[in-house]
Amino acid sequence: MTARRRTLALALLPLAFLLLMSILPLLRLLQEGQGQFSVGLLADSYLQWRIVWSLLQAAASCVAALLVGLPLAWCLARYQFPGRRLALRLLMLPFVMPTLVAGMGVLALFGPQGLLGINLQDTPWLLLYGNLFFNLPLVIRAACEGLSLIPASRIAAARTLGATPWRVFWRVEWPAVRPWLWSALCLVFLYCFSGFGLALLLGGQRYATVEVEIYQLVAYELNLADAGALAVLMLLVTGLMATLYAWLERSLAAPLKVDPLPPRPPQGAQWLQLLAALAVLLLFGGLPLLAVLWKAAQALWLLGPDMLADEDVRLALFNSARFSALAVLLAAGLGCLHALAARTSLALRALAFLPFIVSPVCLAFGLLLLYPQWTASLALLLATYALLAYPFVARSLAGALDSLPPHWPQAARSLGASPLRTFTRVLWPLLQPAFRRGLAFAAATALGEFAVTLFLSRPEWLTLTTLIYQRLGRPGPDNAALAMLLSAVLMLLALLAFVAIEWPSAAERPLKKES
Amino acid sequence: MLQLDGVCKRFGDKLVADRLSLQLAKGEVLALLGPSGGGKSTMLKMIAGLEPVDSGRMLFDGQDLAAVPVEQRGFALMFQDFALFPHLDVLGNVCFGLRERGLARPAAQQQARTCLQQLGLAGMETRKVWTLSGGEQQRVALARALVTAPRLLLLDEPFSSLDADLRRQLQLEFRQQLQRQRMPAILVTHDREEAFALADRVAVLKDGRIVQCASPAQLLAAPATPWLARFIGYENVLEEGVVPEQALCLGADQPLAQVQRIIQLADGVRVTVASRDGELTLTLSARELARYGANLQVGGTLAVGIDRSAMLRYAAA
Repeated sequence: MTARRRTLALALLPLAFLLLMSILPLLRLLQEGQGQFSVGLLADSYLQWRIVWSLLQAAASCVAALLVGLPLAWCLARYQFPGRRLALRLLMLPFVMPTLVAGMGVLALFGPQGLLGINLQDTPWLLLYGNLFFNLPLVIRAACEGLSLIPASRIAAARTLGATPWRVFWRVEWPAVRPWLWSALCLVFLYCFSGFGLALLLGGQRYATVEVEIYQLVAYELNLADAGALAVLMLLVTGLMATLYAWLERSLAAPLKVDPLPPRPPQGAQWLQLLAALAVLLLFGGLPLLAVLWKAAQALWLLGPDMLADEDVRLALFNSARFSALAVLLAAGLGCLHALAARTSLALRALAFLPFIVSPVCLAFGLLLLYPQWTASLALLLATYALLAYPFVARSLAGALDSLPPHWPQAARSLGASPLRTFTRVLWPLLQPAFRRGLAFAAATALGEFAVTLFLSRPEWLTLTTLIYQRLGRPGPDNAALAMLLSAVLMLLALLAFVAIEWPSAAERPLKKES
Repeated sequence: MLQLDGVCKRFGDKLVADRLSLQLAKGEVLALLGPSGGGKSTMLKMIAGLEPVDSGRMLFDGQDLAAVPVEQRGFALMFQDFALFPHLDVLGNVCFGLRERGLARPAAQQQARTCLQQLGLAGMETRKVWTLSGGEQQRVALARALVTAPRLLLLDEPFSSLDADLRRQLQLEFRQQLQRQRMPAILVTHDREEAFALADRVAVLKDGRIVQCASPAQLLAAPATPWLARFIGYENVLEEGVVPEQALCLGADQPLAQVQRIIQLADGVRVTVASRDGELTLTLSARELARYGANLQVGGTLAVGIDRSAMLRYAAA
């Protein structure tokens, strides 16, 4: 079998899946929306505000993430301090944290009964704060990556040529980090613009986004026409940003082997700089999660553990576990096939990004339109979970496959190992950490999934996320307490996934580098 | 000019500078020669101010350097990988230091152009640095360092990434440049030929200490220790001194030594024998071979002696 044919055979299943579960629904949505799209819709001042606000909050989040994130990244990249590695690892946390948990955390801090005593509900700040929780780490990680790719000699050369540290930043580091930042900011814009969970929880009446509007039009007003038109607009903007991102990503220099500047212990006033940076990081990255834990502990103290014995809670836990397990199984299979097929095909590689960038609300809406007869089927819900989860497995595995030198399996074969033994003794041990990481991401995605679940779910399929949202909408302190408690449970589950992802395996524990 | 006084530096439990002292005269080129990992590059970074000193003093023209930050020392450092800025073109790179010293852009560009011309790089001003060949990159890096008229030029293995022919040619040009500008320089290298070719004085470093610091001729005539003698290229190093080729005598009246190894050369052989004094290696020309070693073979014998009066004695370190 030629390589091309083999690629095609491997890719057949994931491709068909992508086609049926994302491309066709989106096309169907475009078709639906196109008919309804009229300039008159944009003249409506209510919708105008929704669109303007959606763009505005995404842009504001980008600016804030850049202004706050870049100095933080510089401190993390350049200063050595106890716990630095842990801090860098924790920056991955938002990637597995369900939006609902973050939203609840923001409410616990700045909501009506907020811990800080400032009620910011019905102001734009709640949503912006939530956006920063998720996206600041993205910018910091990108900037750290960019900074770590600047050879130490380049910085030293600039210094000996008479540049002060500040001038070195402007004339050497900033130009090198810029491309990394632009591509990260593209993603930030994309996520903030098409984010659903946070906007639903934190936006309130006035500061909800287009995504929330689409959901409300579909779910409460059954106004598919306007919803379709808005969805087309969403797809247009996200498509544009995704293209821009792909284009920017291409221009990022291939990481050559460089000797980066080793981080140094701060001295004197630099300690203040570092402490300030860590405090800001805690404010945006850690405080919401701590608030959830604190409030949940309070709730547990006040109401006792009995409330977890509630019928609904048991059902939700059971369903969340069941759905996530099935979704992870599906994702594992699809992810493996996709990763193997993507080894030789750039286009396939790019396709694995599709589920990341398409807005879940638009996707769910499209699925509803395309498969009206299956809206009440569990298979569709699980397939959608798998769609959102499997790219994590595919990308993680593809990365590991890339970094595997071809002469390792060749060496194993020449030492007398059969293809099967080569796989079990060489390939699998080397790929296993990446696979595990992908699965943990997939599990976290399925567990925390909220947007699609809200669209496609039925009452008896109550999951943790939908139960939290349901209880949050009901009056009474008991309901609020339960919602908070369940958020803490969800958060702990996400933390488990995080540990599975970030725990270094023996095979890849980095060798200690000598200075 | 530059004076180092008991400079110490350690990384963890590794001493990279152990009470190092040395002096650099005006216009002098000094090579720091030593095996890899011997702390040479760290020395250079400490002089440049990029690496703090644990203890000891560094003075330049009588001024203590401890409180002078890197950018105010006026020492240009040239790196092994040249460290050209990829976001600037050739002219931008050469202008960098001038702009940092507060020169206006047109004046900086004017000076940079002149300097590029002197180094044979005219017409390359707008080239992207990654399109340059290794030799061109080296020259741009040199131009970038020289154009600021540094008080001291520091070079970290500046020729090691070039191939042998180009290296020799650029070394020659470089030597002429330095002599023309009478610029003091410190050169770090692990290549003894490079050190001997470029430097007025060579300081040989081992484990953070200077084993010997002398002109190349003095170093070769009287190496300080057996280790140093081997490091700078002598093969027959005995406890009492170095045996250069001219101290080896052949002939029937010499004691017999057993032949250990023979390597064929274009115009003779290289023989290693086990003599009374230890292993000796000597080169026999084809003529000598015909005369003294008619049936030379491994396991056979060769009459070799040492003329003790021609031996090199170790200098007191």
